[in-house]
Order: sequence, then structure tokens, then C-alpha cells
Amino acid sequence: MRLETRVRPSRRQVLGGAVAAGAMLAAPAVVRAQAKALKVAVLLPRSGLLAAAGQACHRGAVVSPKVLADFGYAVELINVDFESNVDVARTQTERAIAEGANCVVGAFESGATLAIAQVCEQRQVPLVINIGSVPQLTEQGYKYLVRNFQTNPQLVSGGLRLVKDLMAATSVPFKNAVFVHANDTFGTAQRAAMDRLFPAAQMPFPLLESIAYDPKAQDLAVEVTKIRALAPELVLVTTRSSDAIKLVRDMVRQRFEPKAIVSPGSPGLYDEEFYQALGPLADFHLYNLPWANPKAQMTQALAAAFKTAHPTNRFEVDCFNAGFTFEGIMVAADAFKRAGSTDGKALMEAVKATNIAEHVMTGGPIQFDEKGQNNNIQAAVVQNRNRTPTVVLPPEIAVSAPVLPMPSWQGRS
Amino acid sequence: MISLWRDMNRRGQVVLVVAVLAMLLAPVVATRYLLSVLTLILYFVYVGQAWNLMMGYAGQLSLGHALYVGLGGYVAAGLWVHFGIGPWLGVIPAVAIAAAFGAFIGWLAFRFGIEGVYFSLLTIAFAEFTRIGFDHIGPLGGAGGLFIPYQESRLGEWWNLRGGQLFFYYLAFVLAGAAVLLTAWLARSRLGHQWMAIREDETAARALGIDVFRAKMKAVLISSAMTAVGGVFYAFYYNNLFPAQVFEMSRSIELILGPIVGGLGTVFGPVIGAFVLTPLGELLIAVTDKAGLNAPGAKAIFFGLVLMIIIYLVPGGVWPWLSRRLGLVRRRS
Repeated sequence: MRLETRVRPSRRQVLGGAVAAGAMLAAPAVVRAQAKALKVAVLLPRSGLLAAAGQACHRGAVVSPKVLADFGYAVELINVDFESNVDVARTQTERAIAEGANCVVGAFESGATLAIAQVCEQRQVPLVINIGSVPQLTEQGYKYLVRNFQTNPQLVSGGLRLVKDLMAATSVPFKNAVFVHANDTFGTAQRAAMDRLFPAAQMPFPLLESIAYDPKAQDLAVEVTKIRALAPELVLVTTRSSDAIKLVRDMVRQRFEPKAIVSPGSPGLYDEEFYQALGPLADFHLYNLPWANPKAQMTQALAAAFKTAHPTNRFEVDCFNAGFTFEGIMVAADAFKRAGSTDGKALMEAVKATNIAEHVMTGGPIQFDEKGQNNNIQAAVVQNRNRTPTVVLPPEIAVSAPVLPMPSWQGRS
Repeated sequence: MISLWRDMNRRGQVVLVVAVLAMLLAPVVATRYLLSVLTLILYFVYVGQAWNLMMGYAGQLSLGHALYVGLGGYVAAGLWVHFGIGPWLGVIPAVAIAAAFGAFIGWLAFRFGIEGVYFSLLTIAFAEFTRIGFDHIGPLGGAGGLFIPYQESRLGEWWNLRGGQLFFYYLAFVLAGAAVLLTAWLARSRLGHQWMAIREDETAARALGIDVFRAKMKAVLISSAMTAVGGVFYAFYYNNLFPAQVFEMSRSIELILGPIVGGLGTVFGPVIGAFVLTPLGELLIAVTDKAGLNAPGAKAIFFGLVLMIIIYLVPGGVWPWLSRRLGLVRRRS
């Protein structure tokens, strides 16, 4: 005899089960769309060739959720190191999105940023570029990409304009200038922009020559000899910190003292490495870059949080990288707040409609044009004073007056 | 192909069929992340196999193979961006130019007796020259990079290598499969045996009547041409090329690690090497991220340690050890 233990389900039970199963399957999407905090993947080159800058950006990212919470934004971060490697950038973007990232911020380096952009485009996940100056980033037709940073031409033209402002503010004229640049990706792009923009900027002095150097060279003695022979009053530079150190050391060795060394839109002169290697010789160099507005309330909040979280790092030194990374995350958080959804399409529409008046970096409100470029970012003149980057122009945000001509190398203590 | 199949015992044949089927069906179950990792693995299988022909079989150590990746990528991408010539056509001049570079390097080295480490230095030097040269070629973007426009409307155009992750996965699968089959065929051909004779003892090979110069030139030509095809894949997968990235020495090293770890001079060495190293890298990133470990280079240290352990435990490569251990190949008497 066989015991019949199987019970046949009724049609109603099957229907009920199907509804329940459907609800369970749909739940993640619904929950995702109604999430209370936006999951932002922050992809940075925290190791490898670009580690120093990537780490500075990362320090800004890790304090962002707390600072943004105080301003009414809710974000959760997925921090990813892509090791300055394009392959890793692409696969890790896929991983971050698979782990639930609703938006991506990054990636400091243009090649990696484009690799990330393709994944974001296919997955319909907004990408907010924190730092990346290659103009093509916003010229490739990506719909899920915005850039809260200046392009190379914007960096150079803004930098040159501020040289004029500097001359007016200090009443120190320059008779002539030389442009010295690294022959790497960034340096060559800056050179191209300089060649095009210097004549258009109608500068009151001629550019005698542009001199390229190999950033991997052991010293820059030959280049400095060349510069010295031209006797320029102003040396415009595009450097990274390691070669900026070599450049200044060789200038000191050869006792070449221009009235000013100005970077019209490049890093290198404000890294901790530069200050530590050169000591007092690191002072009085100028760089015209978008910078953290020291008088903005949000900058002060970010600086305070930064000091607590990273007591061994200085916000004044990291604020360029940290500030733009913070703003990238804020753009995403603000869009989420307005969209009320983590759905990629809705979120991207909100990102494109961004209008944030109160923020960290210098310039007008954060807004994006139809290509996704923020054209309202303005550069400031920053000068090294006591081995600390100090905003000296424009007057409304300056905390000190510019010193020009720079004091002699000799006798600095 | 048939001899490769015959070299395996029943167990080996079953494992191979299952592995191929698993790779073919992977997109059905794999997430997009896994698929992107698999694509990368297959890409490294392909370029690793190309390098394996030259070093593993012919015994010529090239440390500048990124040169051919870059040349292939730049030529095809440049033709597409400036003249609208699709990559299936563009791959022909790309391969021709890379092979011409390979031929020149080979001729220079083999004609004038530049061997061993000096040959390796020559390959590095050419990769560096070319990187510096491309930094200054304006129409190809110079140091500022060459960008292939991303057009959503063209996404389905597989004939122009404009596709999504799935398309590139299968393309990489076909390339990797073809490279394995070609290697298996070449390894058993007359040329393959000549290469191995040269690798073991060049003087003895010459004494046996092998035209050493010609055989080595063929190795360089085939390897450079194959690598250039990998470069075309790279360019259209990432849609951008920077000389500083694509010709970089670290790229060359990345490309040769798979065959070294997997087993030099074996058909499946580069395959196993890529399947060990790429997931290991991804795993270490995930683990260090999850552990909140933010020391720069921590992952690189772990990676290096694991690599040292693998090389210490299986100095002949993972594949020869694995195939013996699992009994995947026929024992030769």
C-alpha cells in the first residue's frame, strides 16, 4: 500500500506564489530606486604611477560622507584603487556597479576615465569626473558623463589671464618669458594649448621660447642653462613635483633668479614632496589653478573634517585633489537628492541639471553645459608661503598679498 | 590540432571540451564584471601566446613586445579616425607595419649577432624610441592621446568592432582560441622543431643544417604580426591610446608574465598563466578594498609574494605541473 502524501497546489495558491515570487524578484529594483543613500563608487589611482595624487584625492573622498551629511546629503562610498592601470579601471568599474554603485566618481587620469566612461555608458550609470583635463573627455558624445574640472585650454587661458592680474596687483612688469614643460602627456597637451593661447591672450610680454624636458632625466642642468641664456624675467612651467624639484635645484645651482616662476595651470609646485625636498627654496613660487576657496563655509567644513581624519596630512596641500573629489561626490549626492531615485536615467538627468552655488573650489556655481562640461570653474593665484599654499588673488578670496619679485635664493631661512 | 588532441589522454580531452564549453556558455551565467575579467584573461592568453612563440619556442627574449601592441592599435585606430577605414581592413596595414618593425629589429639583431640580453635590450630600446616618436606625431594625438569616438548609434556594428562587452568577450575568445591552435600547429611543424633546436643549442642547430637566421626571423615576424592584432583589439576595446601607456615597459612585462608563470614553450602555459594571474590581481584588489587596506602598493606586494611562491613551487610553470598532477597528457615512453 502506498501512502499518498503529495498535495496538489490549487490555482489560487500558484497565483499567490507567483505574485510573491515576482515581488521578491522586483524588490531589489524597487529598494534600489527608493534607497536612502546613494552608493557612489570612487575610482582612483591609489597605487602605481599616479599614487601620490590618487591618495590625495582618496583622502578627500573618505571624509566626504560625513561632511555631506552635515549639508543634508546621504552617500555611501565604494572606494576602488585602479592601480593607475586602464585594464583594472575597466574591470573594477564593472565590479563596483555589480556591487550596487549608482554613480561613479573619478578617475584623475584621462585614459582610465575613458575606459570607465564606456562601462558607465553601457550600464547607464552617471560618471562625474573629478579631475581630468584632456578636452576629448567631453567631446566623445558620452551621455552619462560630466566633468567638474577645467580642460587643458581652460587651465592655460585662466593661468595666463591671472599672470596679467598678478602684474596689475603687484605693479611688477615682466619683459619676457620662457615656457618650460615636461614632455609627458600632460606637459605636451599644455604646450599645445600654450602655443595656441599665448598669442590670443595678448600678453604684454613676448614668449621667447618653449623648452621641453624629459621628466625622467637625472637633472635639468642643460635646460636651465638654456633658460638662463635667454634671461627671461618670468619662467612659466608645467611640471610634476619630482621634476619641479630638479628644476629649482638647478636654477639655484646656476644662480638663475627670474622675477617669478609661475605655473599657469599645472601641479608640481605644491606637493609635500616639493616642500620637504626644497625647504625655504620652495617658497614664493606661484601657480594659477582652481583652488579651494578658503573663505567658503563648505571648504572650512571639509578642512576641519580632513584634519580630524588625516592628522598627518595638510588640507592646504591636498585641497586641490581632495576638493575636486569631494565636489564630484557632492554633485552625485545633490542629483540623488533632487531625483529622489537611483535609477541611472533619472539620476543623470538630475546631474545634468546641477546648479550648486555653495561649494568648495573657486568659481561660479557648478553647472554643466550640453556636453557635460562645467565652464564656471575659475582659477586663483596661489603662492607658497612658509611651505604652505596660500591664495593671494583674486582679492575677494585672498588670504595674503602676493610677493613679487620673489626674494633671492640666497639668504632664505 | 589533431596532434594536440592526440597528445591528451581521455581525461585531458574531457577537461578541454568542458573548459571550451564553459567559456562558450560563460555569458549565460556570468555577471558583466566576470565577463570583463574573462575578456581581459583571453586578451592576455592571446598576446601571451604570441610572445610564447618567440621566447618559449624560439628562445628569443623580447622585453619590448608592447611595441607591436601599440603599433597595431595606433595604425588601425588612426585609419578609422582619419579615413573611416574599418578595423577589419585596418588590421592588414597594422599587421604589416608591426611585422616590418619586427623584421627590422630581427634583421638588425640576428644579422649582426646581437643575442641574449643584448637582444632584449634592443627590443626595449625600440619600444622606447617608438613611444617617444609617437609622443610627437600630431595626427595621432601625440602625447595627448588618440581617441576613437564613442557613438552609441554604431554600437551594433560588429564589422567596425563597435560592440558591447559580450561582443568583445567572444572576439577575445576567438582570438585566444586561434592563437592556441596556431601555436599547437606550429609547435609540431618543421619550423617549430627548428625553433626548439635553436632554443636548446643554436650552434648545434646550425650544424644540423638549420637556417638559423631564417627560422628566427620567422619567429619574430609571426609573433609581432600576432601581437599587432592584439593591439587592434586593445585600441577598439578601450577606445583610446596614449603612447605613455601603450608602449610602456610595464605593459611588456604584464604581457609576458602569463606565459612565464603558466609554462614557457607549452601550448597551454599562456592560457593557464593568464587564468591564474588576472583573477589573482582582481581578487587581491577586492580583498584589500574589503579589508580597508589603503597602503599604496599593498596589492602589488601580495601579488609579488604569490608570484614568488608560484615560481618557487613550480619553476617549470603551472601547466606542466598541473598536467602531470591531474594526468591530462599521455605519458611518453
